Amino acid sequence: MAIAIKREAADVKRRPPIFRRDPLDILFYAVTALAAMAVVAVTLGIFYILVRESYPAIKKFGVFGFIVSKEWDPYREVFGAATNLFGTAVATCLSLIIAIPVALGIAIFVTEIAPDFLKGPIGAAIELLAAIPSIIYGIWGFFTLAPIMSAHIEPFLMNTLGRLPLVGPLFQGTPMGIDLLTASVILSIMIIPFTASISRDAFNLTPEIVKESAYAVGATRWEVVKNVVIPYSRLGIFGGVALSLGRALGETMAVAFVLGNNHQITTSLFDAAATITVTLANEFTEASTKTYLSSLFYLALLLFVLSFAILAVAKIFLVRYEKKNPREQ
Amino acid sequence: MQRERIRKLESVIALTVSTFAAALGIFWLVFILGSVIVHGAHALSPGFFVHDPTPAGIPGGGMRNAFVGQFLITLFATIIGVPVGILGGTFLAEYARGKRISHYVSMLADIMVTVPTIVVGTFIYAIMVKPMGHFSGWAGSVALAVIMIPVVLRTTENMLTLVPWTLREAAFALGAPYYKVIMQVVYRGAITGIFTGVLLSIARVAGETAPLLFTSFNNSFFSGNMNGPMASLTVTIFQYAMGPYDDWHDQAWAAALVITLAIMIVTIVGRMVIKLRYGKK
Repeated sequence: MAIAIKREAADVKRRPPIFRRDPLDILFYAVTALAAMAVVAVTLGIFYILVRESYPAIKKFGVFGFIVSKEWDPYREVFGAATNLFGTAVATCLSLIIAIPVALGIAIFVTEIAPDFLKGPIGAAIELLAAIPSIIYGIWGFFTLAPIMSAHIEPFLMNTLGRLPLVGPLFQGTPMGIDLLTASVILSIMIIPFTASISRDAFNLTPEIVKESAYAVGATRWEVVKNVVIPYSRLGIFGGVALSLGRALGETMAVAFVLGNNHQITTSLFDAAATITVTLANEFTEASTKTYLSSLFYLALLLFVLSFAILAVAKIFLVRYEKKNPREQ
Repeated sequence: MQRERIRKLESVIALTVSTFAAALGIFWLVFILGSVIVHGAHALSPGFFVHDPTPAGIPGGGMRNAFVGQFLITLFATIIGVPVGILGGTFLAEYARGKRISHYVSMLADIMVTVPTIVVGTFIYAIMVKPMGHFSGWAGSVALAVIMIPVVLRTTENMLTLVPWTLREAAFALGAPYYKVIMQVVYRGAITGIFTGVLLSIARVAGETAPLLFTSFNNSFFSGNMNGPMASLTVTIFQYAMGPYDDWHDQAWAAALVITLAIMIVTIVGRMVIKLRYGKK
């Protein structure tokens, strides 16, 4: 992602000769093919093992029953995924709502506004955000961001947005800093670089000539971005957003610190919650009974299937987009 | 005239907002790295690298065990993951070039690159930790290797595709079999790219925590035994940061600083090398 790899278009069509008569060549062919199949094997293996391990829980709680049940009680051994799915959905959606405008702004700045000598360094700096390990986001969020959120930002939101009629309940409660809002802010910082860099690549693919025609009829720079560049690259942006969504879904350590791991469905963003990943991280090694462990595997299976599906959609969008707009050499 | 002014104003406002968005991105980067440096530098001392942890609550001690554990786990992950990734990438870029299977496998690899790493942890727990009956450094290495394979595979595939086809044809013309062409011509042309890609992927998995939680687990004692639970910097940071002692928090920050600096340096150098070698934009 960091560097656009130029594929020689003509090259792809050329197929190599295979010298079947040389035994070493056949051997090398087999070894490399086997290695490539490792990816397929691992994917199928993960799916199979997760289904196998979660089978007792699937049998006990069913599929639909597990998904909608709000119970999460290790003592009575009754488990349901609803609270975890709720936490995952809220944290992911909120982080996207925060991240997308910022990421698009960054992409617009880097492609349309920044002077040439700034384009590279700023893009690279934003991409560095993606290289920071998630545990660092976690520890930073826990010790640095959470206190700021609880002392300044959350009371402020409570006194402004919290007073409004419709969205008010979202911003009420005790501003502890260990809650859905803080987790979403951290997640949003983590996914900004992905959305931004894919959107930037998509923006860059807009043909100069289309943009120049818009300028020629007197459009302002913003109008060119809004009416030409963004519509032109919307498939790419879509793919980028879906990719970030897949990322945010599976993020563990960054949210494990600041979410509180509390199995509940709340109306306030200032409450602790639990996502699938946080539940796994906190409870997996403590699961003492078979049903408990199996239910955790069940959660992992749900997460795997969900993120796999979303990432596959993202990939299909991006591949389509690239096919439509082959990179100019 | 009025309308024109409004349009211009709108444009200026929108572009200013975009500039602020970029500034916000940079701000987060500086804020995060800044806190890590400030807190970490304050807790860092030579003893941090050469001492093992003291019992909980007693100040002093270091993270020698975690450094060694992290090194061993990452080393074996590299030994397992890199050859598989490179060979697999070779298949996609060479033998299966242009074929449908190559397209599908690299798409699958792209998806697996982003699949939640904690899921990989549960997978390895089920196939290694449970049958063996205990956590082990090996399980941690295999978990990291599983995450590494698709990354290395995709990088290798990309780097090999960049080697001009005519080079191969020249070698074919001399009668060389394909495996010889790959090993002596193609690999030679792509070595910088592959090597850098491998370094970047090591930097990536070295910062992983989630897949290690249920595989290599943690160990407060020094251990070079890959067959038992093993400490790693990332899991130790998690444990210490969540713990109740101020001294632990300081050490967690120190470990965070070390791991962040290492990963940042490798990432920046790696990207610069790739840019110098391949990017002409």
